[in-house]
Order: sequence, then structure tokens, then C-alpha cells
Amino acid sequence: MNNENSNEEEDELVIKWFNKEVGDGENTILVYPNLQIFRQIYTNYFKDQLVIEGDKEEEQEENSEGEKYNKKNDDSKYNNKQSKSKRRIILVAPFYETTVSVKHHLQAFGVENTQRFVDDGSLVLVDAYQSFFPDINGLKKLIDSLSERARKEGRAGVTAIVDMGPFFMFGGDGSAKQLINYEASLAPKTQDGNVKGISCYHRRNYDTLTKADKEEISQGKRKKLFEVKERNSSNTRSSA
Amino acid sequence: LKDNKDNNDSSNNDNKSAARLLVVDDDPDIVQILQIGLQRNRFLVDAFTNPEQALQSFKSNASGYSLVILDIRMPELSGIQLARKVKEANPNVKIILMTAFEIRGNEFSKVFPSTAVDGFVQKPIGLSDLNKKVMSLIGYPKERISNDQD
Repeated sequence: MNNENSNEEEDELVIKWFNKEVGDGENTILVYPNLQIFRQIYTNYFKDQLVIEGDKEEEQEENSEGEKYNKKNDDSKYNNKQSKSKRRIILVAPFYETTVSVKHHLQAFGVENTQRFVDDGSLVLVDAYQSFFPDINGLKKLIDSLSERARKEGRAGVTAIVDMGPFFMFGGDGSAKQLINYEASLAPKTQDGNVKGISCYHRRNYDTLTKADKEEISQGKRKKLFEVKERNSSNTRSSA
Repeated sequence: LKDNKDNNDSSNNDNKSAARLLVVDDDPDIVQILQIGLQRNRFLVDAFTNPEQALQSFKSNASGYSLVILDIRMPELSGIQLARKVKEANPNVKIILMTAFEIRGNEFSKVFPSTAVDGFVQKPIGLSDLNKKVMSLIGYPKERISNDQD
């Protein structure tokens, strides 16, 4: 098996985990080996969820006809828009790159006109640090509001992909305690919840936690854990 | 760029007045650009993408470094944590923290005054501006030569 195939299989495993293993109302843990792979994860998931075939056809039509997306109003296009309104809301809260960089990477890896997803409320980008500090519950409040909006708009739900890097910024035992307390406040499963919560840990941060810390943040392994493997280096570049 | 420091230039440089700098950023592209840009200004530059390895290198020759440039947001050992350890090893070394993010007071309220940082720069920064910043902290080459002779 060549490197490209094994990397593609790993990508598919991650998407499968997001779609099949993580249910609505669940809070889970994902460990990623480096920033490049974190970027691949959110990009692949975003494309899987939001860039549907209809979009691609529409973009081609837009290009050929020079028409703008929001000016289309025939019945078939209207129906297509209806289905789009059921899209999940995807929240990405990066820590080791800026929100501008996330948009740049989405665009660079095939998501045309990323801004329109921001404009229609399907993509929400916030800096993880600014979401947790100074108000540790800031991100939870944001996710609650997105959850409510998703229900009101009849959307499929919310997926929150959040880098937990801010908790490792200052070091020391206090930070681990703060992280454990935060993770303890996220139930492994909420009945009737419409949010898939993915707490994402850079491998080099995760490995600084003791076995007991890891046990606590996973609430005795009641939270699902996915450890993404390091890729073969033929088409990925390690930041480490 | 490898995790290990790039010694291509620095170890061969026999200019005793050249200041030795340590650059640490987890983004290999940024490290490489800064390293080349600073070397052009005749600094001796040890560059790392892995903060733990950077710390080991620094500790092995702590008094040899004049200034360190650290990215703030790095996994395993952030620039803030690394700055503290570097200062412990050599209290005289100058430290510049670097970030691509908006610098806000609350992010650093936990850092000061426990960590003495000499400057901040916001990425992207022009190499000319960075060189000026470095020289403003450690002195211009002529000043450094004169200080060495004193």
C-alpha cells in the first residue's frame, strides 16, 4: 500500500468517526499529531458536510453565467437552497493558527468562496483562546447559542471542533486542573442534544498530561477518544 | 527544516562580534524565513521548531546567547513557558515574544511581572523591522564591537 492510499484511508476513518461514532449530544476527545493534520481533519469534515454536489454544480453555473448565488430564484434552485438550510453549523476554534488561516486553508484545499458559508451561518470561526479567556464558559455560551439557532433554523445540528491548546499555554499543575474541571463540565452524552462536541488536543500537549489527568478528562473513558495517527510524510509535512 | 538546529551558517562564522540568537517557532516556514533574514544581518542564528530541543540547546550554551525570539503559541512548551526557563538559565538574555494573534492585555496579565519579556512582535513582521527590533535590544554591530573591546 502506498503512502497516499494509507493517508486517504486514515482521512476516511476520521470522517467516519465524526459521522458514525460521534452522535448528537456527545462530547468527545480527538488527539491530532500536528497542525497540518488538524487542518486536514477540519477541511475534510467541512467538505464532507457542507460542500455538497449541488454546490459544485451551482458554482460551475455561476462561473459560466456570471450570476450571483443569491440572485437565483427558479424552483429547482429554491429546492436546493431548502436542503442547504438543513446544513449543520460547524464551529472551528483553532489555537495554533488564526481564524483567517483556517479560511485560507479551506479555500486552498478546495472549498470555493469560504466566506459564503460564514455569511449563511454554516461556518463559525473563533479563536480558542479568546473563547476560553477571560470567561472560561465563553465558548459554552457560544455553543449554546449556536445550538438554539440550529433548532430555530431547522438545521441538522452543530459540530464544535475546539482546540484545547489554551489550557496548556501557561503550564503548571493549575492549568491541568483548570482543563480537568472544564472537561468535567462537559457531559459525555446529553439526551436530545444537537451538538457534537470535539475537544481537540495536539499530541504534544496531550502527552504532557498524566495518566490520571487523561482518565479524568475522559471521565473514566466514558467520553469517546480518537487518536489520529501521524501520516506518512509523502504528502504531509510535520510541524513538529 | 529539521527539529534540530540548523548550523549551516552559525558554527562556521568566526566573527566574534556577531551576536548569537535563538529563534523558536513551530511553523517551519516561519523559522526558516526568520533564520535567513537574521543571518543576512550577520547574526548567528540557531533555529528550532521544537521548543524542548531549543531549550536543551540554549541550556548547553546559555551565556552564549544574546537574544531569543519565541512564538507564543506552541504545543508542549509555549513561548511563555519557554521564556521563563530561558530566563532562569540566563537572566541577561533578551526575549522577544512573537504572535500572529492580536496582542491583548488579558493574554499576558498572567505572564507579567513573573516573566521579564523585552519586546513583542506581531506576525507577519517584515525582516527589516525585526532586525531593527533586535538591534534596538542588543545594540548595533559597532556598539557590540566597542562593548567587547571595553
